[in-house]
Amino acid sequence: MLNFKIDSSEIDKVGNFNKQEKDFRLKNLENFNKNGFPNKRNEDWKFSDLREIVSKNFKKLNFHSTNNTEQKIDLIKEFEHNFIVLTNGELTSSNFSYEDKDKIKIQKYSNYPLSEKTELNPLISLNHAMANKGFILEVEENYKFNKILVIYSLYTDKLNENIINCKNKIKIGKNSELHTLEYLINNSKANFFNNIYENIVLDDSAKFKNICIQKNKSSGYFHKYSNNKLGTNSNYSSFVFPAGLKFNKLDLEFDLTGKNSECKLLAASYLSQKDHQEIKTRINHFASDCKSFQKVKNVLDSESKGVFQGKIFVKDIAQKTDAYQLSKAILLNDSSEFNSKPELEIYADNVKCSHGSSSGSIDKNSVFYLMSRGLSKKESVNLLIDGFLSEITNEIKNQKIKTFIINRLRIQLDGHKKH
Amino acid sequence: MLEIKNLKASINNKDILKGLNISIKPGELHAIMGPNGSGKSTLANVLSGKEGYKISGELLYQGKNLEEISIDERAQQGIFLAFQYPTEIPGVNTSNFLRTSLNKVRKSQGKEELDALKFIKMIKDKSKELGIDEKMLSRQLNVGFSGGEKKKNEILQMKILDPNLIILDETDSGLDIDALKIVADGVNSSRNDKKSFLVITHYQRLLNYINPDHVHILSDGKIVKSGTMKLAEDLERTGYKGIN
Repeated sequence: MLNFKIDSSEIDKVGNFNKQEKDFRLKNLENFNKNGFPNKRNEDWKFSDLREIVSKNFKKLNFHSTNNTEQKIDLIKEFEHNFIVLTNGELTSSNFSYEDKDKIKIQKYSNYPLSEKTELNPLISLNHAMANKGFILEVEENYKFNKILVIYSLYTDKLNENIINCKNKIKIGKNSELHTLEYLINNSKANFFNNIYENIVLDDSAKFKNICIQKNKSSGYFHKYSNNKLGTNSNYSSFVFPAGLKFNKLDLEFDLTGKNSECKLLAASYLSQKDHQEIKTRINHFASDCKSFQKVKNVLDSESKGVFQGKIFVKDIAQKTDAYQLSKAILLNDSSEFNSKPELEIYADNVKCSHGSSSGSIDKNSVFYLMSRGLSKKESVNLLIDGFLSEITNEIKNQKIKTFIINRLRIQLDGHKKH
Repeated sequence: MLEIKNLKASINNKDILKGLNISIKPGELHAIMGPNGSGKSTLANVLSGKEGYKISGELLYQGKNLEEISIDERAQQGIFLAFQYPTEIPGVNTSNFLRTSLNKVRKSQGKEELDALKFIKMIKDKSKELGIDEKMLSRQLNVGFSGGEKKKNEILQMKILDPNLIILDETDSGLDIDALKIVADGVNSSRNDKKSFLVITHYQRLLNYINPDHVHILSDGKIVKSGTMKLAEDLERTGYKGIN
């Protein structure tokens, strides 16, 4: 097993910091070094032994920043949009030509408020210790975006066993609305690790919709911890279509802190060829009359592994909570694996909470039915997969964006199927 | 069209068909009646190629050995099975599916594929003929369809794919009189001297509307009696116990 202890001198290489911040970083580095990459002895990582995965696939961890000059990007042509470009995590350009620029503030990552909390997740400690990239986007009050914002996240061929630590923050002011599409473009041939800390704040009556999808397969290992705070009457929908990453763990925490707030998480993935993906959620119902809805769908092919750990927490004062959670998986062969761990922790007595989970192979009778109408076996299976995942894509209201996503998913599916 | 000689079929070591013989010529409509468990659905499944059965005997479709033809190729070559219990396929739009299916069959037969506009016109005409609400076509395939809607959808597919050999597996069961009439009309308007039908049913009801050329009684995996429509009428009076 490789030793992934990180020397404190690495902190100086990522930036110059004042004493207070340096101490914060050192403390977090110490916590990471004490615990190392999490393994399955840690309950939150029981299905994703990251220590083993990193040991197997990385010889070293390179903290050196690549020189991220502005890269040329093929912009999406299918629909008009604002955009920002993140090159290996660093904000390298932005364009808000459809918007009132006075209402938007975009800047590179700068210092975050330093928390005293000792993080249980060593990767968050690692991020706190080493982060030097990312962006902060703030939307003023009473402003509704005219067009979607595409966040192009580009990973260049300069990466080689690099570990990127970035912090991204989006804050949406009262009564404002923002839609984003995170679009990951992978040009790196070598392995790299991306460790993201995300913080999203919705003020009262704010609305946020986010879609996340990859353009192509990647040799990246991704971990994202996302903390989302929802104010009164706010509304947050998140669509994730992750696929084709060697390792991907999304650790999503939603705090419903204001009354009548609502969050929705919809995920659809097609995993193959040793892809390993985990979605872990924690929905904290901290106020009354809030709604949460989670639906996670996975199709797993050759030797891939999918995990869903979903927890709904309802505080005693969070009466009239309406929480729903469902995960469904189709396993296309015996070498794929799906693990699901739903949890409810409820301290209020007047709530509606439900959860369900199912996994199984593709229905033989359905394949027979479709084949008896002239479709080949492969076409029948693909149609059933499309149908299974379409329940998620159908929730996207904007027709152009929906078509774009469906086409991307189809490319992922066809691309994998060729192998 | 279809020649079955000494067909034996078993599943999980259980013998279901035990030496069945039947010969259907182009243009003929044969009805097979039989009590529960006599092997009716197994016969339909074997003809359409469902996996899991151990088969022996001779199965010839247009002179070709059926066993060598895969499920999808059977459909492409003009065999159609209307399912007793059509499968619900979530997330798949009925109309899109019908077009995919039709174009697969047309392509394999060397015919030009239909574009969306031509297809829509065709499907609208056929739906109207069968009294099918067009809204059904934009729903997910068979999902949440009533029993009657599912069966009508099978007949619609039969109409669209224009097959040579049509097997109706208890398409009449669970239908009210109006729906039954629609199914019968669908069959009658499709009949010609080139198409053959094998209608599997429990009851005489449907046969009253479609007038079979031959009626066979299947019992314990064999045809025990063959005759004309009169046999079906006798059966209705005496029940299966009265036959033999």
